[in-house]
Amino acid sequence: MISASGIRNALALAALLVTGSALSEPLTNQQLIQSLGQVTEAAPAVDPAVLMEEITANVGKGVAALPNFAQLAAMPQLTVEINFEYGSVAIVPESYRTVGVIADALHYPTLLGRKFLIVGHTDSTGDANSNLTLSLRRAEAIRDALSTTFAVPPDRLFAIGVGEEMPLDAAHPTAAANRRVQLINIGWAQ
Amino acid sequence: MLKSYRFLCGAFLFTLFIPIEVGHAQTISYADAITTLSQACGADIKKHCKGVNLGNNAIQSCLQENQAKVSPTCTATLAQVGASIQKRQAAQANVASICRGDAARHCKGVQPGEAHLLGCLLKAERVVTDECNQAITDAGWR
Repeated sequence: MISASGIRNALALAALLVTGSALSEPLTNQQLIQSLGQVTEAAPAVDPAVLMEEITANVGKGVAALPNFAQLAAMPQLTVEINFEYGSVAIVPESYRTVGVIADALHYPTLLGRKFLIVGHTDSTGDANSNLTLSLRRAEAIRDALSTTFAVPPDRLFAIGVGEEMPLDAAHPTAAANRRVQLINIGWAQ
Repeated sequence: MLKSYRFLCGAFLFTLFIPIEVGHAQTISYADAITTLSQACGADIKKHCKGVNLGNNAIQSCLQENQAKVSPTCTATLAQVGASIQKRQAAQANVASICRGDAARHCKGVQPGEAHLLGCLLKAERVVTDECNQAITDAGWR
C-alpha cells in the first residue's frame, strides 16, 4: 500500500537522485519528516555491523549491488549535504543548521522510536581505503552531534561509511554529487 | 497631568505585554538555535577551533577555553544557544503530561503512541485546552 503522499515523496526523492546533487533548496524539517516517515510494510532487518563487514571486504569493487546494500535503496530516505573541513571530521559551521534540521525531524513524534542509518559517502579522489575510513568517521561525527548536542537517543542512530563505493554519478566518480550523506529510516527501535 | 498620562501609558503597555510573555514559554527550533551559533561564532570556530567538532560539547569547550580571543558576541550567544536547546527539549518532554487530560477527553480509542495522540490533538485544536495547545506549539510540533 503506497499512499498518494508516499508516491509524491518517492518522486521527490527520485528527482533528487536524478539531479545528482543534495538539496539545492534549504532543507526543511517538514521535508525530512515526510520523506523519512513513510510507512514501509515489513521493513527488512538491516544490521549496520553486517553492512560495514561487507563494505570492508569489498573496497575498490563497489557495493551498491550487494544484497544488504541493495535493500537499503527501498527504504525511506533522504540525501543531505553536510560539509566538513578539508580532510577532517569537523563539520563546518555553515552545515550546523542542516544537523539541527535533522535533529528537529528526529524529535518529531512520527519519527520517535525509529532507527536511522547515517551513511557517509566520498568521491573517488584519493585512496579508497582512506576514503572508507574518512566517510565512516564523518558519519560518526554527525551521529555524535545528534546524540549529544541535540539529545537524540544514541540507540536510535547508526553510522556507517561506504567511502567511494556507492557513487551517485558513477560516470564521474570525482563529481561533487558523490560526496553526500544519506539518512535512512531502518525501522522501529527495539 | 503629563506625568499621570505617562504613568497610565506605562501601565497600559505593562498589562498589554506582560501577560503575553508569561503565557508564552517561547522556544525555537534546534535548527534556529544552532544557526545562531554558527552565525555568531563561525569565524571564531574557524580561527580558534579548527578540527573541533559540534558533538560531545567540544565546540562549546573550545570556545570557552579561548574566551579571551573569542568575540564577545560569540561568548554571549554560546550560553543562549545552550539554553534555547534545553528549553525546546523540556517543552517536548512536557507535552505528554500537560496534554494528558485533553488526550483522555478528546482522543479515546486512538491507537497508542505519541504520533497518533499528537495527530488527534492537532485535529481537535479548537476544543483542546490552551495549555495543551501552547505545549504543542512550544514543542515545535505544529
